[in-house]
Amino acid sequence: MREETVERPYSRTRILVMLGIILALIMADHLRSPTFAFNSGQGNVETALSQRDETACAPCGAPCPSTRD
Amino acid sequence: MADSAVLQPGLQQPRWQVDRFIVSTALVGLALLGGLIWLETAPFMVALFVVGTVLGMALYHGAFGFTAGWRNLVVKKRGAGMRAQLLLFGVTSLIMVPMLHSGQAGLVGAVAPVGSSLVVGSFLFGIGMQLGGGCGSGTLFTVGAGNIRMVVTLVFFIAGAVLGSIHLPWWLDQPGFDPVPLVSSFGISGAILVQFVGLGLIAWWVNRIERKAHGSVERDELLWKSQGHGVFRTLISGRWPFTWAILILAAGNALTLAIGGAPWSITFAFNVWGAKALEVVGVNMSQFEFWTWDYPAMALKDSVLTNIPSVMNFGLLLGAMLAAGLANRFNEASRNRPEGRQFLAAVVGGLLLGYGARLGFGCNIGALFSGIASASLHAWVWFASAFVGSLIGIRLRPWFRLPN
Repeated sequence: MREETVERPYSRTRILVMLGIILALIMADHLRSPTFAFNSGQGNVETALSQRDETACAPCGAPCPSTRD
Repeated sequence: MADSAVLQPGLQQPRWQVDRFIVSTALVGLALLGGLIWLETAPFMVALFVVGTVLGMALYHGAFGFTAGWRNLVVKKRGAGMRAQLLLFGVTSLIMVPMLHSGQAGLVGAVAPVGSSLVVGSFLFGIGMQLGGGCGSGTLFTVGAGNIRMVVTLVFFIAGAVLGSIHLPWWLDQPGFDPVPLVSSFGISGAILVQFVGLGLIAWWVNRIERKAHGSVERDELLWKSQGHGVFRTLISGRWPFTWAILILAAGNALTLAIGGAPWSITFAFNVWGAKALEVVGVNMSQFEFWTWDYPAMALKDSVLTNIPSVMNFGLLLGAMLAAGLANRFNEASRNRPEGRQFLAAVVGGLLLGYGARLGFGCNIGALFSGIASASLHAWVWFASAFVGSLIGIRLRPWFRLPN
């Protein structure tokens, strides 16, 4: 049976390189973080696993207008 | 060089094929990152990563675009996309408003101040949506599905978000007032009812526009069954009827609240990524007031793997990639390479999206969807201002050679 080929609109190599770079950046960020230091046995660091600031006025942590007067 | 795929000839429509490379790559990425999150953080973060992945698949398979839904109403006078969003907001507020006020400790709603910052930010965001080609979730899931123009939008989205974070304290000094949770004035049932009335009025207005232009209203948003394939194939390869996407997105946001303690948000992660990148090149972000506030300062200092929006965004990207691979449509939107002005639109749109999202306390997900699900007045102001901005963005699109 005759088969025809179509070009895929992407390069496999480029995708793997991009994802590799993103993973490397995540790893680099993680390796210098307090959470990694804590996991490595350093006891006196404060990690930010539960980061929500319940006293903040907005989801981004911004204060309320009334507290800025 | 581009790789090749084999298609069977002689068929009217190409036989459904899974893009095995994309699917395998997405699954390996999910396993690697999920494993790392499991090892280094806590099980609840893995759960949020999975929720993000499912949300990414739902956004892609449901073709759930806020931007296109708004544009279809304005340009084509078709309201199915808009009504799907209104249904989503209604269903989710029915679940989440009682959850937030159930008395369970540690649950925080998406409520934010109402004022100059919110109005200006959401207005700019609305323009950016139409020029950039997507909102917060739309940008992420299309990047995950391989759209090259949207990668440009995302990069400038991040840049705009960081600039917005630097300017936000000034904007907060302009006229405005503290958050207005509707539950405080109307109680839980009353707040839900007031919101339903608001959503119903918008739906009535949308229907009126559609009926006036076409004589009748299409009810695509109420479809339960796919028009082309069986349930299994539709579930795996899309396209999902709107109803499926609505239910998954509503459940996903409620799960995010239950697991993470706050509703779904996206754009704060862009702030963190951009600020971290600037710190790497030597910029001291703590000189800017925003980055001295507790939550941003903590997020900046610690790993992105401990930041809920970041972890969910990673899941969303890989989920959309997986879905695009299963549909055999990865990178399909980039078959026709965009021209210069379209890239310029991505740059301008991305900057407006990022700057607007920071001033407006989030995007369509964090401020609008989660805001209404939290019964916060700011979400309604955001909706109105962003829609007006979107009207201007739609008018600007032809100049950037973007189809309307």
